[in-house]
Amino acid sequence: MSEDLKASYLADLQTVTTLQELAQLKAKYLGKKGVVTLQLKTLGALSAEERPHAGKRINELKEAIESLSEAKEVELTHQELAKRLASESIDITLPGKTTGIGRAHPISTVLNEIIDIFVRLGFSVEEGPEVELDHYNFEALNIPKDHPARDMQDTFYVSDDVVLRTHTSPVQVRVMERQKPPLRFIAPGKVYRCDADVSHTPMFHQVEGLVVDTHITFSNLKGVLVSFVHQMFGPQVPVRFRPSFFPFTEPSAEIDIGCILCDAKGCRVCKGSGWLEVMGAGMVNPKVLEFGGIDPELYTGFAFGMGVERITMLKYRIDDIRLLFENDLRFLRQF
Amino acid sequence: MRIPYLWLKEFVTITETPEQLAHRLTMAGFEVEALERIGDDTVFEVNVTPNRPDCLSIIGIAREVAALYGTKVTFPDLNIVSEPKELDFNIDILDSDLCNRYAGRIVHAVTIGPSPDWMQERLEKCGIRSINNVVDVTNYVLLEFGHPLHAFDLNKLHDHRIRVGTPATVLGAKEPIAFTTLDGVERRIAPDMLLIWDGKVPVAVAGVMGGSDSEVSDATTDVFIESAYFDPGSIRRTSKRLGLKTEASYRFERGTDIKIMKKALDRAAQLIKELAHGSMYGKLDIYPKRWCSTPIPVRYARVNQVLGLSLANAQILDCLKGLELEITEVTDTGFVVKPPPFRRDMTMEVDVIEEIARLFGFDNIAPELPRMRLGNDDALTDAQRMMRLKQKLRSAFLAAGYTETINYSFIGEADIDRLRLAASDIRRAGVRIQNPLSEDGTVMRTCMLPSLIRNLITNVAQGNREFQLFEQARIFLPREGEQLPEERECLAALIYREKVKSLYRDDTHDFYRMKGALEDCFADTRVAGVTYRRSAEPYLHPGQSADIMIAGTRIGTIGVLSPLVVNALEIKAQRPSIVVLELDLSALLPHIGASVHYRSIARFPFVERDTALVVDAALESSMILDLVRSFPSDMIEETAIFDVYQGASVGNGKKSVAFNVRYRASDRTLTDDEVDTLHAALVSHVSEKTGGQIRQ
Repeated sequence: MSEDLKASYLADLQTVTTLQELAQLKAKYLGKKGVVTLQLKTLGALSAEERPHAGKRINELKEAIESLSEAKEVELTHQELAKRLASESIDITLPGKTTGIGRAHPISTVLNEIIDIFVRLGFSVEEGPEVELDHYNFEALNIPKDHPARDMQDTFYVSDDVVLRTHTSPVQVRVMERQKPPLRFIAPGKVYRCDADVSHTPMFHQVEGLVVDTHITFSNLKGVLVSFVHQMFGPQVPVRFRPSFFPFTEPSAEIDIGCILCDAKGCRVCKGSGWLEVMGAGMVNPKVLEFGGIDPELYTGFAFGMGVERITMLKYRIDDIRLLFENDLRFLRQF
Repeated sequence: MRIPYLWLKEFVTITETPEQLAHRLTMAGFEVEALERIGDDTVFEVNVTPNRPDCLSIIGIAREVAALYGTKVTFPDLNIVSEPKELDFNIDILDSDLCNRYAGRIVHAVTIGPSPDWMQERLEKCGIRSINNVVDVTNYVLLEFGHPLHAFDLNKLHDHRIRVGTPATVLGAKEPIAFTTLDGVERRIAPDMLLIWDGKVPVAVAGVMGGSDSEVSDATTDVFIESAYFDPGSIRRTSKRLGLKTEASYRFERGTDIKIMKKALDRAAQLIKELAHGSMYGKLDIYPKRWCSTPIPVRYARVNQVLGLSLANAQILDCLKGLELEITEVTDTGFVVKPPPFRRDMTMEVDVIEEIARLFGFDNIAPELPRMRLGNDDALTDAQRMMRLKQKLRSAFLAAGYTETINYSFIGEADIDRLRLAASDIRRAGVRIQNPLSEDGTVMRTCMLPSLIRNLITNVAQGNREFQLFEQARIFLPREGEQLPEERECLAALIYREKVKSLYRDDTHDFYRMKGALEDCFADTRVAGVTYRRSAEPYLHPGQSADIMIAGTRIGTIGVLSPLVVNALEIKAQRPSIVVLELDLSALLPHIGASVHYRSIARFPFVERDTALVVDAALESSMILDLVRSFPSDMIEETAIFDVYQGASVGNGKKSVAFNVRYRASDRTLTDDEVDTLHAALVSHVSEKTGGQIRQ
């Protein structure tokens, strides 16, 4: 009898395709009015000898059905999930939804890189006004009113005594006036010159640096700037210091690096020389220390300055400086 | 300065190739910017720094070459035979402060004509056009000696006389006088500008340009050649004010050699005599202010201290050997330098140290990092704190999809007009530039928006339909009674979006998109207590704009650009959504949160309740949040608005605002009853204050 029931259950189970049908099938056999349940109720009619045997067989049948149902349930669950997942398939080749990442302006990227290098070298950061007194921009930097050195920088004037700063150097004197040595800072910022062509814009960025202490030497100037060049452009890049002239430093130097575009072989950008001018520097002129209230007999120092656009253009191979300020997204989105 | 190699070789022996010489000069401070091969010659384009006017000449460079190679300069042979005739000519220097020396020579019976080919070629190599033999000679000598000369037609000089003085001195003039220079331009000469006069009238602007009436012409038979020393400052002022820059003024304003001027004069007279077949007369030389060298004491120890070297005394002296300096009073500790008249740049000890370094060679000084004491103050500078804030905001805006722009700090009048500001608005009174390059850069920005609007126009014209920009820079606000404006660090941002078909739908109002980015920034920098109130900025949509407030101060504005402003931009787009933000970082900086103190994490579970209230449509939702947050219970942990709905079902002029409150106690698990009671009290408080009704 129970073998027949089991066979009949197995046959029924073959036809089951959903969890719902499975539940119905299970109820048909094991439910309150299920055939197996009804069999159990017939046990009372059996003799005491037959009863344990028959009971045992029915219970075995019940367990077998339950276990088969469970296995079927797992199977059907998996099938149904697979079906649902298949129906939920999306086109994974459509583009993702982005917020459109913003692009950093190349100048500020390079500026931050420069700042980071000097901060690692122990420099702090200072700043000064962009609309500046003629006194700080020129006079206190040893560039008197009728000096030809003023021709080196075409100046925007606000009044006879007020200019748009032509360099970040005025910050040197402003800081010396309010702080005592040792001094070791950089002053990044915008500067202005009355000039506009492929290699000049009326506004650009500079980073000024000043170190003043009791025993600062020209050799130290070289040490710091060689370290900077190697961190900025790579340790293999050659550096040379050329004598030059700035009214606020003496001796003054211009710093060239081996052309990073042609590996110093000579190209259009380095005009075939293999060298690129990247910085100006020098020992602080004693007159400038005096303007800043520092005794030039006790203290010496060096100062340097560099154009951020120049370095940016070299780094990204930009051939027209004006692109940097047109803010055309076709340009900005490249960085 | 263009220096032909073959001309240079006439004065100094050079055994190296032009390329090798160019490198030596460059490394000695005379940067050779280019080498140009012309025939069998090479022309050096030398960048001469303003402190070395003596090197604006062939002989000047020859001197440097001699110093570098340890040889000597050979001067041109000057074989002057003056006619022994009594001179019928007078020179008076009336302003001897402005003209320390004035010399001249007369060459009679010259034949004006073209100069020989060799001279024309040399002038051409140096970029000077040939005119006639006499004028060419003055230019030739200018290039050779670096001293400017001027040739007058002797017979055009009234009374055979030269006077040197300003109109104020000569005429007692108080007003500018008219004078026509040889370029044919009538110029107004101020009373303090130095002129050269004959017996009657002015004949030249001293050291700048001659006059048209006395210039050498084809008809000239007798010439007067001038060689003088003029005060550099005076020449520069005159040249600047007249807007007239010449080869002569360029050298005089940098300082000329008061000694070599005599040799230059002789050389010119001799050449004119030879080339124009003239006969030479004696010379005149008035030298009222004699130059004398200023002695400069130099200490060996200081030399080594500044350069970071340990040179022996003899080595130091050796470096200076080739420079024609007079070195005296040599002791164990130092010496005294008397510079020659062509080195007026040398006045201080450090000027001599520079020469030592230059000739020792910068390459021979080893780089060494300085050993320094730590700074006196290791706290962050104000600049550093601002820099950090700017870097943080920059990262945040980049991450939120804004592209960074950098604009010029100056804008045009029209840019400001776009904002429709009131006439009295301080932003209309920006710092003006006296000499702007163009109309769109006349005034320093008083706000950032005009620049971003310009960027918008540029990029919309390029067919961009959706973009987000930001910039961080300073604005410049004029201050009453101060020479310099107030400079404030600002951040501005802009969203531009046209209604375009898009793959993914996102109908968030751009105002909230930008406000969200800003709120993230405030969270990131731990700025608390920011509130928003309706803005009255004339360039913003009155219903969709806000002033950003902190502690009662406005630190910025955010809002939709007014249609009046947008229409005036004349961009070809159908009602684009444009939202702008301006934030005053200088005002924000003091509100940046300092250190963080940890609070313990709640251990007991939370319970949430949602409620929707129907309130007047005009009610600002922040009122509901404020009421919840200020409700006197320490069990309210968080609240947020999760739905705002307007429609027929809530009634006209009404809206439904749904908010969620999360309750939690720090010491126990809250029961439902407890929370129900608390929430009911809260809702009734909020309803009462807002006049709202619970939405059923």
